[in-house]
Amino acid sequence: MELTWLVAAVWIGMALVASLLSVRLGMSVALVEICVGFAGGNLLDLHATAWIDFLAAVGSVLLTFLAGAEIDLVVLRIRWKETVGIGLTSFLAPFLGTMAYAYWVAGWSLPASQIAGIALSTTSVAVVYAVMLERGYNATALGKVILAACFITDLGTVLALGLIFARYDWWLLAFTLVMAVTLWTLPPVTAWFFAKIGPRISEPETKFILVILFALGALATAAQSEAVLPAYLVGMVLAPVFLDNHTLAQRMRVIAFSLLTPFYFLKAGSLVSLRAVLASAVLIAIFLGVKMVTKFLGVWPLAHAFRFGRREATYTTLLMSTGLTFGTISALYGLSHELISQDQYAILVTAVILSAIVPTLIAERWFDPGGAPKEETFERRSTDRVRRGEPENTQISFGPVQGGTPDVS
Amino acid sequence: MFRKILVAIDGSEGATKALRAALDVAKHYESDLHSISIEEHLPHYAATVGEVVEAKQEAADYFRRVIREAESAAIAYGIRLTAHVMPGHEVEAIVQFVKDRGFDLLVIGFMGHSRIYERIWGGTSQNLTRLTPCSVLVVK
Repeated sequence: MELTWLVAAVWIGMALVASLLSVRLGMSVALVEICVGFAGGNLLDLHATAWIDFLAAVGSVLLTFLAGAEIDLVVLRIRWKETVGIGLTSFLAPFLGTMAYAYWVAGWSLPASQIAGIALSTTSVAVVYAVMLERGYNATALGKVILAACFITDLGTVLALGLIFARYDWWLLAFTLVMAVTLWTLPPVTAWFFAKIGPRISEPETKFILVILFALGALATAAQSEAVLPAYLVGMVLAPVFLDNHTLAQRMRVIAFSLLTPFYFLKAGSLVSLRAVLASAVLIAIFLGVKMVTKFLGVWPLAHAFRFGRREATYTTLLMSTGLTFGTISALYGLSHELISQDQYAILVTAVILSAIVPTLIAERWFDPGGAPKEETFERRSTDRVRRGEPENTQISFGPVQGGTPDVS
Repeated sequence: MFRKILVAIDGSEGATKALRAALDVAKHYESDLHSISIEEHLPHYAATVGEVVEAKQEAADYFRRVIREAESAAIAYGIRLTAHVMPGHEVEAIVQFVKDRGFDLLVIGFMGHSRIYERIWGGTSQNLTRLTPCSVLVVK
């Protein structure tokens, strides 16, 4: 028991260090946690225990649920041909390309190649969203298409991870049927339950969501599928509920980011071996290159065909080459199910992390279609200021902050 | 001489000194005074959209406070202040803003870095002085 507390102190200590570093560096805490976990795994010989494995698994499920719940379904309906076309190709091209390279050139086994294809097929909606928000593109037609296409790509990744390695038997049929019924009935049932119970200190709303996620996760695991598949789909169907209920979404993020996802990202980093990264630096670079080239082959012509300018098409393609969360989830799934070795895991996770950074830097530095950031504008009416007792003879054209996913006016 | 003045504010001690100087100059020349604040640290490479949104909200809350303080200082001088918040890199965004809006004077607080940093990258004040097309007043 004493050792349990010591282990907990060490892991939460690392999470705290990662939080402080992320604030100092202005970088995502997820990426910093992976790096801190990497340092801990290689320098302190850190190993996950059974309870850390459980918290990490819950973290990945909650993270996936939150990603699904961030989808603005209205965005998906706008220019759906471009959205579905670009999103689907953005998944298929790197999935097939990377899988083919891993299988035929790198000599990996078929399951390992499939994991490589899935891990490097992803697009990070959050990475794309941060860039767009900073540049003000999230409210433009181009931005909306790119963001919506990212959700389609992620859906492809989650479906592939959930279905390729599933055991096709009665359990899968039962899982499919229960999923279908749940997804159909969940939005009205959830809305009714939330209206009936309301927000309470005992958090019945959060527990309701967790029960659904854990039960479907159990069924998915029985069918040898993956718990992140129902989590993403449940998030998708409950997205309108969460878009209307920012407080609940925020409370779930607090739970996830304070106690669950740190264990997931630290564990994901701790399993990356420095020796494997150094020994396979060339292969990592090739995987990153294959991901970016196949994204270009798939997305660029389609974006151009949909009358995006050359610069916009290149910018779109580069942003869609990013990946982080689902890439690491896929690689960790492969490792925990013994579909890939620890060295292959190190190669994939490093390539995934680089895919979050390299395409973003190139896109922002050389292919930004707008050139300069736009001022964020909102006007505070003088009457508002007078009501709050603020001075009248100043004018603020001050720009915060559009909460939630991009507006679709 | 200075009809349109821009002062960079971020809540730091240097920026507060810069604001005071800008208010003095604006009062003297009866200039049009604007402030600019740069939202620099949106987390790149985030895991969820929510993480980005919350960081943005935190930055907005912070700059609201900074601008409210600047407003109070302006009202004490009897000056009209127009405040702007821009996303991006501070040097790049301020230089572009000055170019786009045609300011005559940029007022900034001195931002010191380590010698090694300044030798390699150049300090923020140094870069702004070099790249901005108008006169720059660096307040220490």
